[in-house]
Amino acid sequence: MNMDTNYLQISNALKQDREKLIASFDDFPVIEFMRRHSRILDTYFQQSFEESLVGPRLGLNKNPYAIIALGGYGRGEQCVHSDVDILFLFKKRIPKEAVSLIQEIIYPLWDIGLEVGYATRTLNECIDLARQDYEILTPILDARFICGMSILFSELMSATRDKILNRRSKKIVAWLVKSNTERHLHFGDSTYLLEPNLKEGQGGLRDYHTMLWIGRIMLNIRQARDLEYFGYLSHDEYLAVTEALSFIWGVRNKLHLATGRKVDQLYFENQIKLAKSMNFSTANGLQPVEKFLGTLHSKMDYMKQRHLVFLNEHGFVYKPRARRKRKIASAYDNIVIANDMLEFSSSEDILKSPEQLIHIFEESARLKLPLTTQAKRMVAEFSYLVDERFRTSNSVVNSFEFILREPAPAFNVLREMLNTGFLVRMIPELKGIVNRIQYDQYHLYPVDKHLLRTVQTIKNFGSDRDDSGCILCANIWKGLKNRKLLLWAALLHDIGKGVPEKGHSRRGADIGRGILARFGYNTADIDTIAFLIQEHLLLVKIATRRDIHDEETAIHCARIIKKISRLQMLYLLTVADSTSTGPNAWNDWTATLLRDLFLKISNILQKGELATQQAVKTSAHKKEVVLASASSKSEATELEKLFQYMSPRYLLYMPDHEILNDIKLFRRLDDRAFVWDVNGGKAANSRTVRICAQDQPGLFSKIAGTFTLNGIDILNGQIFTWRNNLALDIFHVKPPPDRLFEKDRWQRAEKDLHKALAGDLDLAKALADKVKGYGSIRPKASKLPHNIVVDNHSSSFFTIIEVFTYDFPGLLFTVTDALFKSGLDIWVAKISTNVDQVVDVFYVRDFDGQKVDSEDQAAAIKTAIEERLPEIV
Amino acid sequence: MKKIEAIIKPFKLDDVKEALNEIGIQGMTISEVKGYGRQKGHKEIYRGAEYVVDFIPKIKIEIVVDAQQADTVVEKIRDAANTGKIGDGKIFVFSVEEAIRVRTGETGNDAI
Repeated sequence: MNMDTNYLQISNALKQDREKLIASFDDFPVIEFMRRHSRILDTYFQQSFEESLVGPRLGLNKNPYAIIALGGYGRGEQCVHSDVDILFLFKKRIPKEAVSLIQEIIYPLWDIGLEVGYATRTLNECIDLARQDYEILTPILDARFICGMSILFSELMSATRDKILNRRSKKIVAWLVKSNTERHLHFGDSTYLLEPNLKEGQGGLRDYHTMLWIGRIMLNIRQARDLEYFGYLSHDEYLAVTEALSFIWGVRNKLHLATGRKVDQLYFENQIKLAKSMNFSTANGLQPVEKFLGTLHSKMDYMKQRHLVFLNEHGFVYKPRARRKRKIASAYDNIVIANDMLEFSSSEDILKSPEQLIHIFEESARLKLPLTTQAKRMVAEFSYLVDERFRTSNSVVNSFEFILREPAPAFNVLREMLNTGFLVRMIPELKGIVNRIQYDQYHLYPVDKHLLRTVQTIKNFGSDRDDSGCILCANIWKGLKNRKLLLWAALLHDIGKGVPEKGHSRRGADIGRGILARFGYNTADIDTIAFLIQEHLLLVKIATRRDIHDEETAIHCARIIKKISRLQMLYLLTVADSTSTGPNAWNDWTATLLRDLFLKISNILQKGELATQQAVKTSAHKKEVVLASASSKSEATELEKLFQYMSPRYLLYMPDHEILNDIKLFRRLDDRAFVWDVNGGKAANSRTVRICAQDQPGLFSKIAGTFTLNGIDILNGQIFTWRNNLALDIFHVKPPPDRLFEKDRWQRAEKDLHKALAGDLDLAKALADKVKGYGSIRPKASKLPHNIVVDNHSSSFFTIIEVFTYDFPGLLFTVTDALFKSGLDIWVAKISTNVDQVVDVFYVRDFDGQKVDSEDQAAAIKTAIEERLPEIV
Repeated sequence: MKKIEAIIKPFKLDDVKEALNEIGIQGMTISEVKGYGRQKGHKEIYRGAEYVVDFIPKIKIEIVVDAQQADTVVEKIRDAANTGKIGDGKIFVFSVEEAIRVRTGETGNDAI
């Protein structure tokens, strides 16, 4: 048998042993599996070393060498597809035959698909490199002798200790803590991410490695258990750490098995499978995968907390810059400051005055200091003291409100309250959402963490930690009066998700009402908060599913929201909710839509008229009256359809009997260009003309021109537009001068208008002679100049043009014709004459339906009207 | 094969999707885009500060279909996305030289 076949046998044996072990993965605790896995590898190295052809030629006694396991393999924690880290260590120099040795030992491993990382170094090289680069040092901290000259391994260990660890322990620990912190920033906090990194994320295996390495450096410990013996962990904590680690290791190995490769990020695609293979089942409305992630998060959260406490308690915290010494004191006698941390002065005291439990968090928020581990333990243990009387006590409510409102840039006090279980005691309704995962690509955080993030995001608006990118939000937040209402809504907005049924917003509002009543809020405040909870999805839904460039959309929202202050809060809540949900729920595109909608609703609410309760009532009442007039069911259906066409403005301003008149006119219209109805009788000195016409650009000026041409003076008028492209105009006019032939005059006017609309009559030309006579006008009272205002601010949907001038024959034609020739369509108009003073208001858009909001355009419109107005003498 | 690219108003996406479903269109690519054409951007004033929307949010739909089906698809999109107002969008039709399904290597109409 030649040597090659020997090697083949050894590596085949390894392959088979691994396959057998992996097949029986579920038969052992995961720690035992990893140990066995390491042992199988050890056997391979020992046997191939024995069988080596090159080995004997290297002269073990002249230039001793050893094969050493590093990193996870060194610790005996070899996961299914983790790298196998190996060091070939030589005493004095690396012989050229070393290449062949590596070929003999390493290549077969690659051939059977193992990932092997190896290094070939002399003792001195090894120490030099580890001294310069701590990334090389840390795997050596976990080194374990496999075969070869064992004394060499001992030399490596003592040289590492003497030449590196003993000389610069503090520096190395500081580096470890710092690089771990940076790693967390890069990989994120695994305790709530939905695709957590099992190794590198916060709460991941690296946190455990860091604790172990610090123990090795500072105390020269060999095993993790020593951390307990040295008092770094209590016995219970050691057991809990082991349990948490086992779970994370279990997930990691299962993940390797599921993907067939080394992977530490728990991607979505693997989660359902893993949850199943880890025997999670459906319960309490939670899917197995939701329970699985919830458990994983809580285990990783435990690792994270242990790691932070470990660093904190033993003074290993990495401080980027020296903290300035402040003179600070707690406002409460029974809460003291020790080493920049808060703790209770005595535990028996808590029994006597349980309010300390919230006071310590209040002080934490006020002084920006964390609680000691001991203090947190005590809060957790004494939380049972939080009962109904505690919750409703005035001073407790005040403390809670203070914590809720106080900015907490560096660390989140509410988060600590949640972690210690205190928050859930304080608001028991939160219980159903703690660690509740929503399994989709959209929600990145469990509900409870999401709620706290939303609160935090709002408090950060406008600060240097604001990552919403919303300048408008910062401005609104700065000027917001009753901030606590918004923060309450943020804290509770998803509380309805405790039950896995639809309608969490409405349910949440009800639950919220109960909580807030217990906290002693007045009805008005409760209404506002409940409103915000119930409608927290309104703006997003409308912005993405309705036409926000339609005024009615904004009016619809304005009528639901009712008050500008509510709109402001709702907008901030919407932005904070979306940004705290995850990157898929928020981007620049959605932000633009949402902001645009906010500004449009805000405009409607600021002007008021269309969105008041009164407006809603009036419009509804008119609808009822009009519907009551229906003589049959089919007529009622037709009326309902017509309501769809009527704009909110029309319904608000038009009296109900006139709406009925318009409906009659509309029925007469059919396919005619227009129909009208002249009212007033012979005696009165004014007539009302109602016109119903197919809308077309310039319609208004043609009507006005026709009147002037026939000597009919316009006193005032209003025009509205229905959504089915129908114009409804009402004019009050002076009857024609010659009363005897009034009927003929109206008929002639009607003919003229038909011609004008058909394009067969050039009104401007026909009127030219008539208007020429009035070269200038002489106001009766004061001589104010003409004033034309182009307003683009008051409405998001129309440019509003106001013309202040003096009456003269043909005025309305002149102005509206100027508007038509400037390319503008009149949607709403109000014409009023007071003695000889005229105020005309036009809501216009260009023929494409857009506002004319560039300054050039506004100036051009002003000039176009001014040029046509006569001189004032 | 034809590629149809449509720019539509965001709130019309569901209507368009439904209309295409009805004629058996199985897949499409959707992106959130911003831009302007005849419908220009606009500005709003809030407490004295100006907020300009210079690019208006729209949805872009991309579909590749058998050339024979292109007209129907265009018509369906047009009907569903039409509000009669400015900014309703545009539809572009391109000729497609080849389509390949990555997994199987199928080509042409089989791959779409």
